[in-house]
Amino acid sequence: MPHRLTRRDLLKVAALTGLLAGCGSRPDGAATWSMWSSSPEEAEVWANFSQYVEQRLGVRSVPNLTPSNGYPTKLDLQLVSGTASLVTAINGQLLPTYAARGALRPLDDLIAADPDFDADDFYPPIRAISSFAGRPYMVGFDVAPNVLYVNKTLLAERGIDAPSLTEPMTWARFRELAIELSAPPDRYGFTSAPDIDNLISWIYCAGGNVMNADATAGALDEPEAMEAFDFLVGLFVRDKVTPPITSLVPTNARANFMEGNVAFMQNGPWQVVNVRKAEFEWDIVPFPAGPAGSMPRVSGSGFAIPAAVGGADLELAWTLLKTLTSTGALNIYAGAGRNNPARYSAGSAFQPPPANVGIVQRILAGEIAGGHPFEVTTNWNQIKQMLDQDLPRGFLGQLTPAEVVAGLTPRLDVLMTQHQDNVRLAELRK
Amino acid sequence: MAVQTVPRTTTPPGPPPPRRRRRDGQARAAWLFLLPSFIGFAVFTAGPVLAAGVISLLDWNLFSPPTFAGLDNFWRLGDDPTFWSALVNTGYFTLASVPLTIAVSLALALLLNRGLRRIAVFRSLLLLPYATITVAVAFVWIWLYIPTGGLVNAVLGLVGIDGPAWLISDTWAMPALILMSVWKGFGFGMVVFLAGLQAIPQQLYEAARVDGASPWQSFRSVTIPMLSPSFFFVIVTSIIGSFQVFDQALIMTNGGPGTGTTTLVMYIYRTGFENYEQGYAAAQSLVLFAFIAVITGIQFLLQRRLVHYDN
Repeated sequence: MPHRLTRRDLLKVAALTGLLAGCGSRPDGAATWSMWSSSPEEAEVWANFSQYVEQRLGVRSVPNLTPSNGYPTKLDLQLVSGTASLVTAINGQLLPTYAARGALRPLDDLIAADPDFDADDFYPPIRAISSFAGRPYMVGFDVAPNVLYVNKTLLAERGIDAPSLTEPMTWARFRELAIELSAPPDRYGFTSAPDIDNLISWIYCAGGNVMNADATAGALDEPEAMEAFDFLVGLFVRDKVTPPITSLVPTNARANFMEGNVAFMQNGPWQVVNVRKAEFEWDIVPFPAGPAGSMPRVSGSGFAIPAAVGGADLELAWTLLKTLTSTGALNIYAGAGRNNPARYSAGSAFQPPPANVGIVQRILAGEIAGGHPFEVTTNWNQIKQMLDQDLPRGFLGQLTPAEVVAGLTPRLDVLMTQHQDNVRLAELRK
Repeated sequence: MAVQTVPRTTTPPGPPPPRRRRRDGQARAAWLFLLPSFIGFAVFTAGPVLAAGVISLLDWNLFSPPTFAGLDNFWRLGDDPTFWSALVNTGYFTLASVPLTIAVSLALALLLNRGLRRIAVFRSLLLLPYATITVAVAFVWIWLYIPTGGLVNAVLGLVGIDGPAWLISDTWAMPALILMSVWKGFGFGMVVFLAGLQAIPQQLYEAARVDGASPWQSFRSVTIPMLSPSFFFVIVTSIIGSFQVFDQALIMTNGGPGTGTTTLVMYIYRTGFENYEQGYAAAQSLVLFAFIAVITGIQFLLQRRLVHYDN
C-alpha cells in the first residue's frame, strides 16, 4: 500500500535531523574530553578515567575517543567547527602547531589563579614540552625518554656481560658490542626506525639539534648533528649491524626485537607493555652516551583547553583538566602500565619486568644519565615529513649523510623562516 | 445587405488534454526523483569545488581567521619543486598504469568470452582484487615486494633474475606501485569489456567470416570498433582514477624514496591537513581539477571521431 508523506512524517524527519545535528555539538554541563584510543586495553583505561572524573566532579563525563592515527584530523575538524570537547589530549610534538595558530588557550592565568595546582609536581621535561613561547598550553599526563632495550638472553649466549643499568655506554662501546653481536642474517646488534624521531636522540647526545638555538635556521649541517647522523648511518650501512630496511613505511623496530635475534633496540618505555610478550630475558638501560652525554629525546603528551572554551565552560574545563592530570588519575594510568605518568607524585607506570624499570623516573628527575625535551617547531609536521622522506636515503646508503644534509638544508632553512613567521603571527595575536 | 458580424469569442481555457497532463506529471515525477541527486551534487560536489575556488584565494591555517591572498597560492606553485615532482610522478603513474590495466583487462575479458566452463567462477575470482579494499591489498603487496624472501623476487629468482629492493629503490618504487595498481584495477575494466564483448552481434563475425576475414582481421575490424564505447568509458574513468592515486602510495612507500612516489593527491592532503595550508592545498586541487577536466574534455572531443555507437 503506497505511503503518503504526511505533515507528521515531515516533523519526524525534522526531529531526527535535529537530533543528528545535535550529535556534533558539545552536551551542556557535561565534562567532555577527547583522547586517542586504539585498543580495548586503552579504552579500559579511559573508561576508568571517566569514572574517576564523575566521582570527583559530580557531573557526567563524556570521553570522546578516536583511534590515534585519525585523532589529529578529527581534533582539527572539531576545533574548527566549535564542537571540540572542553579538554583535549595533545601530543607534545603538535603543541606548538596548535598553540601558534591560536587553537588552544594559554593556561598561565588559570594556573596562577589556582593555589591548588602544583606545577612543580610535574617532571621538568614535560613542563618544557607543554609550553610555547614561554607560556603553558597544556598539562602533561605522560612523559618518557628514549632508552635502550637489551636482549639479555642473546648477550648471555654470546658470553657478553649486560651493560650497566645506570652508567650509559659510550657510543664506541655500543658500536663495538653491536658489531660483536651481529651475524647477519641470523642475528643483529641493533634495531631502530630510520626516521627523525629516532635520529634526534643521537643528535642530542652529540650536542646538536635539528635547528639552531633561536630556531631561525636548520642546524643539521653543524658538526655535532653530522657526527650523530654519520654514526647512526654507519651502523646501518658500514657496520651492517641492523636488520635490512625492506620498506619505507616506518620500520617496525619492535617486531625485529621481538623476534629475539636483535641485541639492542632503541625505543621509548611505552613499548614495555608490548615487549613483555617477548620469549627471552630483557631489560632497559640508559641511552648510549655521545660527546654531550646520554641526552635522548624526551616525549610527552598532555591535556589542553581549546581557545573557543570560555565563560561558564572555562571553569568546568579547568577543573576537568586538573582532574584528568591529577595524581589520582595518573595513578590509574600508572596502574595500566602504558606509559610513564607526568607527575613525580604518581606511581610508576611499570611493574617488573623489566627489573630496571625505575630508571625511567630517575632519568626524568635528572638523577642519572639525562634527557632532552623533544624540541619542535610550529610547522613540525612539515619538517618531519621532509626529513622522513629524505633521511632514509642515507640509511639505505643511496646517499652519504653529507649529501642528504646538503640537499635538506636549504629547504629546512625555508621552513625555519616559515616557523619564525608563525611565531611572529602568534605574538601579534596575543 | 447588412453583414452580420459574429463576435469572435475566445474559448475559456479548459483543462489540458489528458496526454499533456500526463506528460507534465511525468516531468514532475522525474524532477522529484532527480532532486536528491541534484541536492547531493550541489552539496557534496559543486559546493566543495566552489568552496575550493574561494579558499584558494585565501591564506588560511584552519584555526585563525583567513586573510585574502589573491593569486599568491597559484604563483607559489611555480616555485614548489615538490608540487612539480608530484605532478610528474602522477603523470608517470597514469601513462604507465592506464594502458597496462586496459591491456590486461581486455586480454582477460577476451579469454573469459571464449565460452570457458565455470565462467562465473573465473569472473568472480578475477574481480576479487578490485573488490578488495586498497589498504589491505597494499599491505599484502608490501610483503610480496620484500627484497629477500618476498614472493615477487622469489619468482624472479626461479628464472635467474636477481630482483631489486622494490619499494626502497629510486628506479623501481614507482613501477612497483604501478604493478600493484594494475593487479588491483584490472577487474573493473574486465567486467566492462566483457559486457561490451557479449553485446556484439554474432552476425557481424559471421559476415566477416563469409568475407574471408582472419581472426585478427575480425578482431581489428569488428571487435575493436564495437568495443569503442567500452574503451572510451574505461579510459576516461581509469585516467581520472589514476590522477587521484593516493592510498597505495601512502601505505606502501610513504611517497618515497625522497619524493619519488609522492602523488598529487598525497601532496594536497599533506599540505591541507598536516601542514595546515588550506589555501595552498585548494590551489593545488584546482590545478589537478583543471588537468583532469582538460584531459577528459580532449577525450570527449576525440570520442566523436573514434567511438562507434551501434545506433
